[in-house]
Amino acid sequence: MRLSLRNLSFSYGDSKILRDISFDVPEGGFIGLMGPNGSGKTTLLRCIMRFLETGQEMVLLDGKSLQSLSHVEVARTFAVVPQSSSTDFIFTAYDIVMMGRIPHFKSRLSNETRSDADVVKDAMRRTNTWRFAGRQFSELSGGERQRVLIARALAQQPQCLLLDEPTVYLDINGQFEVMDLIKKLNRESGITVVAVLHDVNLAARYCDTIALLSHGRLEAIGTPADVLAPDIIQSVYGIDVIVRRDPFSQAVYVLPHTAALAAAKHGRRVHVLCGGGTGGPVMKALSDHGYSVSAGALNVLDSDFQNAQDLHIPVAAESPFAPISEEVHRENMRLIDQSEAVVVTPFPVGPGNLRNLEAAMSALGSSKGVLILESEGSQRVDFVGGRADAMVGDLISRGAVRVSGIAELVRALSRGGRS
Amino acid sequence: MAEDQESDLVSVSRRRYFVLLVLAAALIGSALVAMLIGTLGPIGPGEPERIGFGDAVNIIFRQFEDVPSYHVDIFWEVRIPRVILAGLVGAALACAGTAMQAVFRNPMADPYIVGVSSGASLGAVTAGLFGITTVLGVFITPLFAFVTALLTVFAVYALGTVKGRVYVDTLLLSGVAVAAFLGAIVSFLIYFARQEYHRIIFWLLGSLSLQSWDAVIVVLVAVAFGSIIVYLYGRDLNALLLGEETAHNLGADPEFLKTLMLVVAAVMTSAAVAFTGVIGFVGLIVPHMVRLVVGADHRTLVPAATLTGAIFLIWADAIARTALAPTELPVGIITALCGGPFFLYLLRRGRTKGVIS
Repeated sequence: MRLSLRNLSFSYGDSKILRDISFDVPEGGFIGLMGPNGSGKTTLLRCIMRFLETGQEMVLLDGKSLQSLSHVEVARTFAVVPQSSSTDFIFTAYDIVMMGRIPHFKSRLSNETRSDADVVKDAMRRTNTWRFAGRQFSELSGGERQRVLIARALAQQPQCLLLDEPTVYLDINGQFEVMDLIKKLNRESGITVVAVLHDVNLAARYCDTIALLSHGRLEAIGTPADVLAPDIIQSVYGIDVIVRRDPFSQAVYVLPHTAALAAAKHGRRVHVLCGGGTGGPVMKALSDHGYSVSAGALNVLDSDFQNAQDLHIPVAAESPFAPISEEVHRENMRLIDQSEAVVVTPFPVGPGNLRNLEAAMSALGSSKGVLILESEGSQRVDFVGGRADAMVGDLISRGAVRVSGIAELVRALSRGGRS
Repeated sequence: MAEDQESDLVSVSRRRYFVLLVLAAALIGSALVAMLIGTLGPIGPGEPERIGFGDAVNIIFRQFEDVPSYHVDIFWEVRIPRVILAGLVGAALACAGTAMQAVFRNPMADPYIVGVSSGASLGAVTAGLFGITTVLGVFITPLFAFVTALLTVFAVYALGTVKGRVYVDTLLLSGVAVAAFLGAIVSFLIYFARQEYHRIIFWLLGSLSLQSWDAVIVVLVAVAFGSIIVYLYGRDLNALLLGEETAHNLGADPEFLKTLMLVVAAVMTSAAVAFTGVIGFVGLIVPHMVRLVVGADHRTLVPAATLTGAIFLIWADAIARTALAPTELPVGIITALCGGPFFLYLLRRGRTKGVIS
């Protein structure tokens, strides 16, 4: 069944909750509704299931208006899995799932038949809930209860499954369990899924399409990779994020990196000599403390190069896997010249990047503050037969300051970077 | 193990019919026995005169040869309509209580929660105050009570409804507020109704002494329609217990369902209360008690609670008539005396098992 929204608007009294939302969900699609709190996600879901009445022709099922269906027909089309469900009354898990058959009974007097029992049993087997069918619903754990609610939705034999933050009260294991199950049903049975999701990364991993709402408007719609872009997220959620790809699933994932207490830039410059990911936390901390940071010399595929890019930090960059060339070294030195101090992170040293330590040495020579950041409890990785260690020792004997940890580094820098 | 479970689940519906059959038999038995109990009856305080057991049974089954006609009247004008009325009123209150507990999704709700009792009291006390008892042969107290009860429910319903949507929390609080307000007026009126004082208090505590075949017919119609409607919507009520959104999604119309249940419960309760006064605890405790035995599925619960309510009130009235004979106690005192402690017992037992209902 193809679900289409056409200029869907909804108001509670005078306040407009949803404005002119239009999109299509193809049969068998898996769409995630996302957006900040109060953006209208749950209201939109309620309009789709007609719990809230919208205008004619705003919600179409295979081109047919939702308004033309009876209550029971709507219930046979959509099954809803709520955030959670609880009751003070005594029902077994089986009773709850059997309720999914309510829209399918012929009359108010008809009893459950063999085939209803079979549908319920099948739904409970698929959700792995059959083994506690006789237990009381209120005594089940959050994850078990959520699976029972999914089983009820399946027993409804709907064409479209609507989920309202189905994993919000679950632990991480429960979240994946429930989302894997929903994805499996989506793939195997071709059930269309519309899910309100809060967790960006869960949405990116499971949805084909993400619709991003903001203040009741459709801000963006498309594949997770299209919608979950830093600039879109910045404009909707107001936070800075980094978007990466999960190395195993290739799903995009989003890392927030806005510091709540980021200081205003004060113009003091620091250059970071880093590599292999050792520079990421340093560059981030220094930026948050208001320093103008530069970095070098880094190969383009180095993770610190990616970190610097994400933080919009200028880098003296070398081609992938190439040793630092004369040209890049000069660029590195130029950046050092513009800085008051140089930080040397505990990056692994090999023949290709030994020049970074030489750069530190010449910085000392031109009376810049040099700070050697030591990683706690581990030695610098040295691929040049002890030469790196010797050079660092040399730097320290000539006045470079040893600091352990980023907090100490920031304190030392605020004193001017000298001992 | 899974196969055992399956056969258990299949036998649920068989067990349901068994429970209902037992209750129906118990109701008929209780009614027959209760008809034999009482002044002049073969059981109970019959001195100095007593109708023999055989004669009594003959009269009940309408074999009137060789029996004095006033014996027939005692049964057919007094005792039999009274026992039937007790059963019908008990059924009405228990069925209405079940419906209200589902609408409010709260096992502590009762049929009076939307103001029926306070509304009916005001009507009855007003009628009592002006000393009018009959007009054109119609009992005026029940008529007043019935009309004011329905008006009160309508007011509470209007207060709890915003733009066609019934908000149960608002409804609940409106019910409490309106009941308190009307209660104050009733107290005020009672204070000035010195001569009628005893009669009014007796009515307020609930009694079946105003029995008549007219009352039986009125309450019978209300209970028959009411309980059948509540039963037919049993599956929807089950869904409503999980929330309005869930009920909607399972094909019920929650707004229609709530309104229908409120109307049906109000009519049943008002009809009962109009003739008998405010009989407490039946509508609260019977659905509760029955739910512990048969579970929360309304397709079993509604008929089971309705039958149990009838049995319960027939016995409570039998005790009220005979405990301090020849003085008659208000039946509301008996229901509260039995119901209160039993309710507390159930509550504590449920708590220790970690279940509220």
